[in-house]
Amino acid sequence: MQQGPLTRSIKCMPNTKFVLLFALLASAARGQDAKAPDPPPAPASPYVGSETCGTCHEDIAKAFAKTPHHLADGKDTKRGFNGQACESCHGPGAKHAESAAAADIRNPAKLTPAQTDRVCLTCHLNQPTHIGRLQSSHAKDQVACTTCHKIHADGAEALVARKRDTINTQCESCHLAVAAQFQQPFHHRVPEGAMSCIDCHNPHGSIQPAMQQSFGANEPGCLNCHGDKRGPFTFEHGPVRFEGCSTCHSAHGSANPRLLDRPQVKQVCLECHANLPQVRTATTIGVVPPAFHNLNLPRYQNCTVCHQKIHGSYIDRNLLK
Amino acid sequence: MRLLLAVILTFPLAGQAPADPQKPDPPPAQAAAPPETPQAASAAAPATAAASEQAAAPAPQAASPVPSGEPDISGWIDFGYRFRSNVNGSFETYRSIVNLGEGPKLFGADLTLLDPRKTLFDTMHVVASGWGGDPYGSLHVDMEKAKLYRFDADYRDFSYFNNLPSYADPLLTRGIMLNEQAFDTRRHVGSYNLEFLPGSWLIPYFAYDRDASSGMGSLAFVQSNNEYPVPTTMADRTALYRGGIRIELRRFHATIEEGGTTFSSSQSLYQNPQGTNYGNSSAPAFGQTLDLTTLQANYGITGSSTYSKALFTSNPLSWLDLYGQFLFSKPTSNVNYQENAAGNLYLPSQILFYQSEEYLALAAASMPHTTANIGGEIRPMKHVRLTESWLTDRMNNSGNLSAQQSIVPLSGALQTAAVLSASLVSHYSQTETNLYVDLTPKLTLRGGYRYVWGEANDAIFPQGNQLSGVDLTKLRRNVGLGGVIFRPTQKLLLTAETEVASSGGVYFDTSLYNYQKVRAQARYKLTTTLQVALDFLMLNNQNPTPGINYDFKSNQEAMSIFWTPNNGKYLTFQGSYSFSSLRSDIFYLVPQSLAQATSNYLDDAHTATALFTLNLGHVGVFAPKLTAGGSLFISHGTLPSSYYQPMAKLWLPVSKHAQAFAEWWYYGYGEAFYPYEGFGTHIASIGLRYTR
Repeated sequence: MQQGPLTRSIKCMPNTKFVLLFALLASAARGQDAKAPDPPPAPASPYVGSETCGTCHEDIAKAFAKTPHHLADGKDTKRGFNGQACESCHGPGAKHAESAAAADIRNPAKLTPAQTDRVCLTCHLNQPTHIGRLQSSHAKDQVACTTCHKIHADGAEALVARKRDTINTQCESCHLAVAAQFQQPFHHRVPEGAMSCIDCHNPHGSIQPAMQQSFGANEPGCLNCHGDKRGPFTFEHGPVRFEGCSTCHSAHGSANPRLLDRPQVKQVCLECHANLPQVRTATTIGVVPPAFHNLNLPRYQNCTVCHQKIHGSYIDRNLLK
Repeated sequence: MRLLLAVILTFPLAGQAPADPQKPDPPPAQAAAPPETPQAASAAAPATAAASEQAAAPAPQAASPVPSGEPDISGWIDFGYRFRSNVNGSFETYRSIVNLGEGPKLFGADLTLLDPRKTLFDTMHVVASGWGGDPYGSLHVDMEKAKLYRFDADYRDFSYFNNLPSYADPLLTRGIMLNEQAFDTRRHVGSYNLEFLPGSWLIPYFAYDRDASSGMGSLAFVQSNNEYPVPTTMADRTALYRGGIRIELRRFHATIEEGGTTFSSSQSLYQNPQGTNYGNSSAPAFGQTLDLTTLQANYGITGSSTYSKALFTSNPLSWLDLYGQFLFSKPTSNVNYQENAAGNLYLPSQILFYQSEEYLALAAASMPHTTANIGGEIRPMKHVRLTESWLTDRMNNSGNLSAQQSIVPLSGALQTAAVLSASLVSHYSQTETNLYVDLTPKLTLRGGYRYVWGEANDAIFPQGNQLSGVDLTKLRRNVGLGGVIFRPTQKLLLTAETEVASSGGVYFDTSLYNYQKVRAQARYKLTTTLQVALDFLMLNNQNPTPGINYDFKSNQEAMSIFWTPNNGKYLTFQGSYSFSSLRSDIFYLVPQSLAQATSNYLDDAHTATALFTLNLGHVGVFAPKLTAGGSLFISHGTLPSSYYQPMAKLWLPVSKHAQAFAEWWYYGYGEAFYPYEGFGTHIASIGLRYTR
C-alpha cells in the first residue's frame, strides 16, 4: 500500500502523543505551581517576613542565618519564600507578631510527627531523597524529620549531620541495641568513626531490605565497598542474590572473624545444605547435600577452605576455585 | 517536524509567570499538651566510647558559612604520636581486631574555609582522620558556591588484616598453626559528586566512585583428593560513572540517571618450585603420598555494566502523594583462567596418578536486573492516612563456561573438555498497605498488611554426575503489621511496632518462616539533668516443616542514661547496658552418615559502655578536663568470648589556640575455646589540638 501523508502522520502519532503528553503534564505541573497558593490579599498580608520575626527571636534568627534554610530569606525564585523563611514552616505570622501569643503561630515542635513531616515535605517531598519514604521504617514509626534535622540549631552540621561521628551518635541515640552489637570484637569500623551508619543505610528509606543503600541502580549497597563480590558469577551462590549478605553475615558485629551468623563456618553451611529430597518434602533451595566429608577431621571443619569462592565462582560449579 | 512541535509545545512552560509563594497549609490543630521534641531525647542518649570521646573533647569553633567578621579558616587539627606496648598474646589476632600501630599520626582535622570574595567557593569543609599508617584513614572535602555548584569528595583507605588460625586450620592436629583463609589487603574507596545549580528546578549532576583493593593472603589450592595451602595475591578495581538530571518542581519531581561500571580483578595462587607441599591430607592414596611441587594459577576477570534509573515523586493533590521508581542494571563479566600444576597428583574417578596438569577456562555471565516500585499516600481525613506500595524485583543471571583440562601421567596424556551453562532466576514481589490513625494528638496507631511472593530457581546444565542440578522454590508470606506511638507527656515517649508473619514457602531452611518481630522503645526525661532510654528487640521464628524444625529466638534489651548535673559544669556521664540472648535449633544431616542431628547455637552477651567527663577546675593557670570510661563485651554460650576497651583521656589547655592531650586505651580479647588467640595491649597517645 502506498504510504500517503495521513499514514505517515498516524505512524508518528505515538511519539507525537508522547511529546504532547509530556508537554501538557509539565505545563500542568508548572501551572499548578502557579495557581496552588491563593495570592495574599493585597491590603493586609498575613505574612510579616523573617526580619520581623528576628526582632523578638534574635538568637534563633542568628543561628538560623547560618543554616542552609536561610536561603529562603533571599530571593527564592523556586518556591517564592522571598524573605519569609520563618513563615515557610511556622505559617503566617502577622497575627502572632501583633499579639505575641504562642497560640497565634504554628509551632511544629508541638505537632504530631506526621504533621511536622507535612510541614517539611511541603518543600522537600519532591526531591529524590524521599523516593523510598513508603518503605522507610522511620516514616512508619512516625520518626519526624526534626528528630534528626535540627532546624534552628547553629551551623549546617546540626541541620544535616555530615561528619561520621555525629551521624553515628545520632543513630545510636535511638538504636541502642544496634550500637551494642558494634561492641563485639569483629565489626564494621563504625565505633572507630571510620564508617557511618549511612554508609550502609538510607535513613529516608530504600527499596532494599533494612533500608540499605543501593549500589548503582538496584544492587545491594554492600557492593559499594565489596566490589569483588559483585559478579555476575558464572555459578552463583543463591542466597547472596535471593536474600542478600545477611543470610550468612551479621554486618553489625559478630564473634566470628568473618562476621558470620554462627560461630563456625560449617554450622552456617550445614543448616541450609541438609536438604536431601528423599529425606523430606520441603521445597527450600539447598538440595546439594554436604557430600560425605567426615566432619570429625579438621580438614573438613571449615567448608570454605575448599569452597573458597563461596560468594560465587566464575569457573567452578562447586565453588572450589 | 516532531522536534519543532516539541519546541512549540514547551513554550508555555517558559511563558508562565513565576509562581507566587506557596504558603504552607494552615496549621493543624495544636496539641493541648505539647509533646517532647524528639531531638531533645536524641541528643541525650549515650554514644559509643570513641564517638563520645570525640564529643567530650573541648568543643571546636562552630563552623559558620557567614563570612562577615570571621576568619578565612576555622576549625581544629589533632596531631601527635602513638605508642603501643608489646602485645601480650596473639599479635595476629591483635592485628585482625585492632591493628593500630605506633608512630607519628594526624589523628584528625576539621576545617572550614570561607572565601570572602566568593570567587571559587563560598564555603569549603575538610574533615580528615586516621592518617599516618592507621588501618582506616579518611578525607572528606565538600565545597559549595550557592546556586552554582556543590561538590563533595570522600576518600577512605582501609586496611583489612584477618588471620585467626582457629578460623580455618586443617593442619592444627599436626601442630601447624596456619589459617588457610588469611588476608592482608588494603582497600581504597573514593566517591566524588558534582552537582550544578543546587536549589534550582533543573539540577544536572555527575559522579564517579572508585573501589579498589590489593594485597596478599593464603588460600587452599583444591585438587581431587587433597588441598594445598598456598600464598595468593589479589587485586580488584571497580569504577562507577554516573550522571543525570533532577527536575524539582513544586508538585512534581523526576530524576533520570544513567550510569555504568567497569570492573577488573586478578588473582594468582602459586607454589614455589623449590618446596614440596603435602597438603591437608596426609593419608596416602593407594600407597602413594600426594604432593604439589609447582603451581601457577591466574584469574583474569573483567566486567562492565550499564544501568538506568528513573524516579518520580508527586503531590498532585493536597491529600495525595505519589512515588515511583524504575531501576534497571545489566552487569556482565568475562573470565580467563589458567592453571599449571605439577607434583604427584591423583584423579580418583579414573584411579590415575599424574605428574602435571594444565587447566584452561573461559567463562562469561550476564545478569539483567529490573526493579520497579510504585506507591502513594492518601490522606482522606485529617487524622487518617493510608499508604499503599507495590514492588517487584526481577533478576536473571545466565553464565556459561568452556574448560579444557590436560593431564600428563607417566605415560600418555589425557585431554578433557567441558561446556557448562548455569542460570539463576529470581522474581520477587511485595505489596504493602498501612493505615495510620491519630487517635489523639498524643496517640497514633498503625496497622497494615504485607504480602510477599516470589519464585527462584538455580540450574546448572548438563547435570552430569553432580548432585547439584536444578533447584526450584517459591516464596509466599503474609505479614501483619502494627505499631503505636504514645506521648503522654512532654517527658515521655513510647513507641512499639510488631510484625507477625506466616509463610507458605520460603527459599532457605534458615529463612524467616512463621515469625513474630517486636520492637519497643521508651525515652523518659526524669529530671532536667537525667534522661533514660530503653530499647527492646525480639525475633521469634519457627519453621516446623518436618526435617527442618527450625526454632530461632533472639531478644535484646538495652538501656542508656545521660546525666549532666549542674548542666554539665563539673561532670557528665553517659552509659549504656545491653543484654542479648540468642537460641537457635535446626535439624541438619551429618555429612559422613547422613543421620539427622540438631545444630544448636546459644549466645548470651552483656555489653556495657560508660563515659565520664570531669572538669577538674583550675589547676594553676590550666583548666584540665578528664574523660574516662570504655566498653566491655562478655558472651557465654557456643563461642564464649570477651573484649574490653577501657580508656582515659586528659585535655590540658596550654594557650588560647592549643590544647595538649594524653590518651590511654587498653584492648583485651579472650576466647574460652581458643585461648591461644587472646591478646592484651596498651596504647598511649600524646598530641596537640590546634584550634583556630
